[in-house]
Amino acid sequence: MIKFSEVHIGYNTALLKSSSMELHLGSVYVLVGKNGSGKSTLLKSIAGQLPLLSGSITLAGQEVITIPKKELPSQLSFVPVQFPAMDYVQAQEFIAAGRSPYTNIFGKLTDRDKSSVDAALNTLKIEHLSDRFTSELSDGEKQLVAIAKVIAQEAPYILLDEPTAFLDYPNKNKVLALLTSIAKEMNKCILLSAHDIELCLDHCANFLIVSKEERALELLQNPTKAALIDSAFKD
Amino acid sequence: MIISRRHKVLLFLSLVFLPIVAILHFHSGPAELSLGDFLNGIFNYDPDITEHNIVRELRIPRMMMAILAGAGLSIAGLLMQTLFKNPMAGPYVLGINSGASLFVAFSIMTGIPFFMSDIGIISNALIGALLFGLIISIFSSIVRSQISLLLIGIMLGSFTGALVSMLQAVSDAQELKSFTLWALGSLSRVEYDQLLTISVVFLIGLFGALLLIKPLNLLVLGQDQAKLMGMNFRMIRLLIITITAILTGLITAFCGPIAFVGLAVPNLVRMLMKTQHHGILIIASALFGALFVLICDICIRLLENQVNIPINVFTSVVGAPIVVLLILRKLK
Repeated sequence: MIKFSEVHIGYNTALLKSSSMELHLGSVYVLVGKNGSGKSTLLKSIAGQLPLLSGSITLAGQEVITIPKKELPSQLSFVPVQFPAMDYVQAQEFIAAGRSPYTNIFGKLTDRDKSSVDAALNTLKIEHLSDRFTSELSDGEKQLVAIAKVIAQEAPYILLDEPTAFLDYPNKNKVLALLTSIAKEMNKCILLSAHDIELCLDHCANFLIVSKEERALELLQNPTKAALIDSAFKD
Repeated sequence: MIISRRHKVLLFLSLVFLPIVAILHFHSGPAELSLGDFLNGIFNYDPDITEHNIVRELRIPRMMMAILAGAGLSIAGLLMQTLFKNPMAGPYVLGINSGASLFVAFSIMTGIPFFMSDIGIISNALIGALLFGLIISIFSSIVRSQISLLLIGIMLGSFTGALVSMLQAVSDAQELKSFTLWALGSLSRVEYDQLLTISVVFLIGLFGALLLIKPLNLLVLGQDQAKLMGMNFRMIRLLIITITAILTGLITAFCGPIAFVGLAVPNLVRMLMKTQHHGILIIASALFGALFVLICDICIRLLENQVNIPINVFTSVVGAPIVVLLILRKLK
């Protein structure tokens, strides 16, 4: 479980805070808030990329900042909002990069690593993209490949920064449905930020709201659309 | 890693062509020599036989230096391009050569015998290359834009160029001559006895680069992704810059600045190999780089009767259009 205890997050001054909160394995949590409310900053802080101003965030009982940098990727994976721009990298090579925390000094893939990559391709049903260069994929395909990489990484905690941002309606639906089933079937704790409230309400039950007044994180379960908008957006 | 048929064929071809081109290079030059002279020059050296002296003092050092310079500069260019995620990066463009040049200018123009010795020049070139590598990496952590970093590299080059001119203005005729000759670049300045040292330092650079295959492959995904995958970015950056400085400094010290090899060859190799796997890219850059400089030097030898072209000038004449073509191809 991801546990927040009296956390203050931000660069110099607190951008947002959270009292005590727990995010459990087997569930998807949707992070909702205004633009600039600190959603990405929160994800970075959970990933240990940004030090906390105060308080603590723990992963399975261990404080994130105390987890050695080399071990963190086997606990937590992160999908940034932009898919990296690069030439001549095949989808399967990109997914295999998810195995790098487990490979030797030369990055050689073992049979176990290769079967993890194959399993990830199979889970997302994107075997046909395996040999394609990522630069030739559509935005929807890129997002599926990025998710396959975190599946291959086999970390129990997965953070995604706006995974539906550049997708069309069917792809947004597909990605959210996939993430929900991955959380349940693979027992992962998935936290994603999104602006597509209606779609997220169709797929997910847990919402982490950056409340507009106090800049405090608030956990809502099965909220109505009105309650959600009221908490996050209404002035 | 996926080693495709394409990779195998291209690597095999370059491995076959390298000794063939090296033999052609050995045969280029005014004196006609046989392969027997070549072998005798190495294994049955007799200082009284002119052919043996030509082989040992001129042909072999020049051939080896062409191979090592081409391979070393291409690997250095590849490392810089991956570190800065910028295909237009290279030791020359980023001012790392300029750092080596500036420090060599200092060492030659101080007139102090130690600084004018081989060890003095090599250590100064290495220090200069390393220092300028660190300066450019500090800038890279401040500016994220690829273009800005290249502009800073070019500015560093101009700045050191001006400093070198100032040094030249206050130096005497002899110092000025030695520096000017060095700055034109030459593959024929190395002596047979120095080859072992140069080869050992080159091999240290090559093995260092091969040990960095995994982090280099991660850096292709971008600095942030690489960090998220547990990479210690600061340490890896320092190691990459040190290896680049060793390779660039070594070659700059012995051959003078050689432009465009480090920029053009890795781009050409990536385009031919169609991969970002650095196990393949490092080996292919070394082989193609060696071939590129050997062929350039064969052309120089063929034209020698009409005109004497320094290697730095020739690689620029060939390399610059290749880089422009690569940019145009990428824009398509």
